[in-house]
Amino acid sequence: MSEPLLQVRDLVKTFGGRPVLAGVSFDVAPGEVLGLVGESGSGKSTTARCVTRLTRPDSGQILLGGRDVLAAGRRELRALRADMQMVFQDPYASLNPRMTVAELIGEPLLVHGLEPDRRRRRERAAELLETVGMTAEHLDRHPRSFSGGQRQRISIARALAVEPRLLICDEPVSSLDVSVQAQVLNLLRDLRERLGLSILFIAHDLAVVYYLCDRVAVMLGGELAEIGTREQIYGDPAHPYTRSLLDAVPVPDPALARQRPSST
Amino acid sequence: MSATTTGIATGVAARIRHRVPFVEGAALAVAVVVVAMAAVGPLVAPHDPYAVNLTDALLPPSAEHWFGTDANGRDVLSRVLHGARVTLPATLVVIAASTVIGVLIGTVAALGGKVVDEVLMRITDIGLSLPAIILALGLSAALGPGLSSAVIALSVTWWPGYARLARTLVREVKDAEYVDAARVLGVPQGRLIFRHILPNALNTLYVQTTVDVGAVMLVISGLSFIGVGAQVPSAEWGAMIAGEANNLTNAWWAVAFPGLALLLTALAFNLVGDWLRVRNDPTIRREAR
Amino acid sequence: MSTDPLLRVRDLRVSYPTPAGPAQVVHGVDLDLAPGERVALVGESGSGKSVTARAVLRLDPDARLSGRIELEGVDLLKLPPRRMREIRGGRVGLVFQDPLASLNPVMTIGRQVMQPLLIRGVPRKVARRRAVDLLERLGVRDAEHRADDYPHQFSGGMRQRVVIAIAVIAEPALLIADEPTTALDVRVQARVLELLRELADERGMSILLITHDLGIVAGFAQRAVVMRHGRPVETGTVEQIYTAPRDPYTKALLAAVPRIGGDVTRPLAVIGAAGEEKEGS
Repeated sequence: MSEPLLQVRDLVKTFGGRPVLAGVSFDVAPGEVLGLVGESGSGKSTTARCVTRLTRPDSGQILLGGRDVLAAGRRELRALRADMQMVFQDPYASLNPRMTVAELIGEPLLVHGLEPDRRRRRERAAELLETVGMTAEHLDRHPRSFSGGQRQRISIARALAVEPRLLICDEPVSSLDVSVQAQVLNLLRDLRERLGLSILFIAHDLAVVYYLCDRVAVMLGGELAEIGTREQIYGDPAHPYTRSLLDAVPVPDPALARQRPSST
Repeated sequence: MSATTTGIATGVAARIRHRVPFVEGAALAVAVVVVAMAAVGPLVAPHDPYAVNLTDALLPPSAEHWFGTDANGRDVLSRVLHGARVTLPATLVVIAASTVIGVLIGTVAALGGKVVDEVLMRITDIGLSLPAIILALGLSAALGPGLSSAVIALSVTWWPGYARLARTLVREVKDAEYVDAARVLGVPQGRLIFRHILPNALNTLYVQTTVDVGAVMLVISGLSFIGVGAQVPSAEWGAMIAGEANNLTNAWWAVAFPGLALLLTALAFNLVGDWLRVRNDPTIRREAR
Repeated sequence: MSTDPLLRVRDLRVSYPTPAGPAQVVHGVDLDLAPGERVALVGESGSGKSVTARAVLRLDPDARLSGRIELEGVDLLKLPPRRMREIRGGRVGLVFQDPLASLNPVMTIGRQVMQPLLIRGVPRKVARRRAVDLLERLGVRDAEHRADDYPHQFSGGMRQRVVIAIAVIAEPALLIADEPTTALDVRVQARVLELLRELADERGMSILLITHDLGIVAGFAQRAVVMRHGRPVETGTVEQIYTAPRDPYTKALLAAVPRIGGDVTRPLAVIGAAGEEKEGS
């Protein structure tokens, strides 16, 4: 395996005396999609927030392309952020309601000095919109005039603007309808193939993670219960917790659903 | 008026009728009239508000003097019209100064660290505990009585309310997901504050300022009435009431009309402010139905 | 089903008044529920599934309803508000998505579970006994003591059990559950659904489950109604709908859900404007 793009080592974080992360370590290889699954309170979102430095862990190390994320100064951090971007859970909350789509997508280009010229920025924003399956007509509208799925596309376009190597997705489809979820999942899959993106994909839905991820890390109470390839985790889970999670996943097939053991 | 402009005018009127309930509509109209008075009052005033004419003193309301005349024979209507010009700008200065100071301090408190927040909020508490009247008395002793002493005293005591409000509003927004999103994007601190946090946090502040217009106006007139604001010959409404209070029993009009102007204006701005608040907050609106 | 239905809905239409005139959101729903039967109302957001369920109990004072809603032969649309209130929480129980929002934060759990009985004149002691037994039955350990706790002392899954207890304590003939497990973790969800199924079997209670999740329908309901844009597009047994869906939208919806063990090399199906299945891009 080549040098990992992201290395997370022994993350520890307590909130008000309660341990949220109790030593989390994993790697993400270039071009790989790693799923981080777990129930609410397992620490998966806190992990994402630590990696993006929205939250500071109490201890641990995070390396992105060999560069230390936690020790980075203001300038270095800005450079690091051009390499890793994040898509949030709630597309209704993650876009500034007072900005137009052109401003939202243009903003990363502006603040990273990639495209100082206003007109060029707009052109680039239009291209990015097309990458995510929308069109230039949408540029001058505000987030409120879009559906949840469209907003999530705008968020993705915005994250892609700086051409990051790592995309961190925190439950990006959990608030979307099934049909919209399918579109966003297809888009992420497609982007990963076309752009060679690495994705850290945080989700509670095991079927969604199965569809998208090469490897899966299962979190339980601030620790990794286990980590392995998709085949290992779904086919031959080593940890009883993983097994109980898989047993509880509803199966959209009446015949199969009836056979399965009840989860008491 | 041509047919099209009439059409547009009725269209606009219909839209306003449709969106603004009756009482609030009336309040809005009064507020607009007061602002208009401040702007053009002196041009439409039938007499000079300061022209003393003792032969015409204390005349009751008549066709010549609609609101009557005061003890010095000045036309009360002209003085009430003129008064808007004195009271309203003073009020706006107080509101503007308090908003600027308050928003600045509130924002810094909300975004700064715990220590900064603590220090600024304690200073704010001190400001809140200063009584405007005592301060105005002190200032008029030091600077000499006048409208400017009242304005300074009020500004000094009024900003803490805005500081607290701004702090609350900014704190609500600063952890919003779109602010986090901008942070992860690498948006620098200044842009984060001025582009993402403040516009979203402070977009309801104008509601409070509107409500406060009425309140500040009452206090300014109150200070003038007790003699530490605008001084007696001035056509400030509070000062007018103070000057004519002795004649209340035999010439009610000289006190009643400025008083009525004050009451209506304060009430109007309050109602308009309340209406804006309700219009801004969908939860209140639902309850009101 | 040859037996008389417990609930029979015919041509239900729901509209809301807006300044621009009434806006219709449900355009004619037919629905039958036999006693003891579990039926799922499935759809995406905006499909009208929740509005339909709420209309059955006339929960929305603003909604204009037309058609027929018969519960045990009585047309609910003709009942005076007083009688309607007796039916809610009496013959028909209700469970909503957010357990915290449906519980009173300053009233003990026991008191809230007892309330439907107290209102109906059951003596306090008896009501308390039954509340504790029911909580115990729903898996609340040490219910005797926990009945004196407040909602914030319960976890999300436990709160939803309490909400279910409140809904079923008066032994309703029908339970309407609107996305009852959407806010819950997957293992808790499985347990809560199982409890609901067991309760329904024990008491011969019917359940109308409103959900967006095709996964939970398969294992829970016997029949399903798929809704889109305020209209039912397909009604049938769960077996028929999942193995041989007739409506293109139902087909597309099923193909859009990722499955464990499914094909990960192909894009998921995407639903076209007319509701048909499209190859994803």
